Amino acid sequence: MSQWEVFVNELGELAEGRDLELTIRTLDPGIHKYTYKRAKVRVSKILEELPDQLQVRFGRGQLSPQRYSIEVLEEVQRMPAKYR
Amino acid sequence: MKPPRSNREFVEACLASGDAVRIQQQVDWENEAGAIVRRVCELAAPAPLMESIKDYPGFRYFGAPLSTYRRMAISMGLDPATSLPELGREYLKRTNGEPVAPVIVGRKDAPCKENVLKGADVDLCKLPVPLVHDGDGGRYVGTWHAVITKHPVRGDVNWGMYRQMMFDSRTMSGAVFPFSDLGKALNDYYLPRGETCPFATAIGLSPLAAMAACAPSPIPEPELVGMLAGEPARLVKCETNDLEVPADAEIILEGEILPDYKVEEGPFGEYTGYRTSPREFRITFRVNCITYRNNATMTISNMGVPQDEGQLLRSFSLGLELEKLLKSQGIPVTGVYMHPRSTHHMMIVGVKPTYAGIAMQIAQLAFGSKLGPWFHMVMVVDDQTDIYNWDEVYHAFCTRCNPERGIHVFRNTTGTALYPHATPHDRRYSIGSQVLFDCLWPVDWDRINDVPTLVSFRNVYPKEVQEKVLSNWVNYGFAPVAR
Repeated sequence: MSQWEVFVNELGELAEGRDLELTIRTLDPGIHKYTYKRAKVRVSKILEELPDQLQVRFGRGQLSPQRYSIEVLEEVQRMPAKYR
Repeated sequence: MKPPRSNREFVEACLASGDAVRIQQQVDWENEAGAIVRRVCELAAPAPLMESIKDYPGFRYFGAPLSTYRRMAISMGLDPATSLPELGREYLKRTNGEPVAPVIVGRKDAPCKENVLKGADVDLCKLPVPLVHDGDGGRYVGTWHAVITKHPVRGDVNWGMYRQMMFDSRTMSGAVFPFSDLGKALNDYYLPRGETCPFATAIGLSPLAAMAACAPSPIPEPELVGMLAGEPARLVKCETNDLEVPADAEIILEGEILPDYKVEEGPFGEYTGYRTSPREFRITFRVNCITYRNNATMTISNMGVPQDEGQLLRSFSLGLELEKLLKSQGIPVTGVYMHPRSTHHMMIVGVKPTYAGIAMQIAQLAFGSKLGPWFHMVMVVDDQTDIYNWDEVYHAFCTRCNPERGIHVFRNTTGTALYPHATPHDRRYSIGSQVLFDCLWPVDWDRINDVPTLVSFRNVYPKEVQEKVLSNWVNYGFAPVAR
């Protein structure tokens, strides 16, 4: 099970039951902790429903008490290929 | 004593004078190192040299490098006990001379080339990039550093301290305001043409190189370093672009600023003492090469409530650069000072009030200059007020600034996204407002009958009475005090 974190302005951005595209960062231990990727995901307020865990912060870094489970469906590449 | 030519020489000098401490127990890059530096700033404690970092054997941190005037004095090669006014005079003397051109050295004479990572080996996570504050938007690579660019047409070099957050192993994002030198170059040239802008980030600079990167001086930073140090800065060519970087820096990142791709940046604990600027899609830096010294030391500045080096050094150089500007216009200023605790928001100007409107002229020059977006208050006091003594300045403000005639608001000026008092809209578009507090007696008041007399020990007693009281002070039964 992996741990992820996302920044949002409001929890309404984390709609359940449909695919979302989010910028998430890994909280898994190691030197790559806190690096980001863009991904297509699903989230649920039922913590056991999806394979990974997601915690949420608001725009000024405040940690939300609301936790989610998350499934990372696929990575989304936004960066133009010429720069990769 | 000569100014330290590298971060390493500076660390040694600080350790020798008791202005740094060596921490040998392991420190976590995630929050712990940042928390140590934050507490050091809030206590004005010695700078921490952290010699063992979790996950990163062979690397070190040096925190809060210039968050005290003592360490600033050491950086200039002066006695740590040098007074603030004397530090200011020394800065003005050195930076009013002839520019000192840098010298270019070969790779073998450049310690920053001891390790080179290119291609698939490039990974910012191989460096001990700290999570400075819990809840920050990321690990910040650049908190005390210089982002080096060159104007594509004019060729002038810019070193600026633009914060840089690690987004992924090769990507950073940062806050580059449109009124900054780099912001202007990007908006004037690179972004409209869709061209990448070569950059290099130098971390672990000599303290005077960091001072130059922070100073809003019109002198190109490599030459300003030479003026401050009294000898040419040593630069070396980058591996992957034609920029030149400090040869003695601890870590160099080389890459390109992307014109058509942005990633999120922030939030971040800022010099105002708040997390203010919104998390936004911001300027994006793609890293192509990393070079670093053996046992590299990453410098960390932890911005927050006063006082850290962002506040202290920026206040110092902003005030002195404004003093140079005002004197260049023939204004009889007696000094300019920003108290670091104002988080470089209030400029205090001392002046001989020899003509009407002089405070307004000062404010118009200050706010209208390149320095202007970085502060929003100018307070003008007369030459009898000690600008370094906040008690005197505060007294002058509270008693001489007429609420109707002495406070002048400037609307629709340039601001920054970091102003805590600004509206979210104004932050997003760098819209500012500024204010002048004119604490001068009006020149059309009669000096004898209209201007109040200051009632102080120094001002209302004859000199012989003052001397008698001072010389008998202990005899009266009081504890001795400095005169």
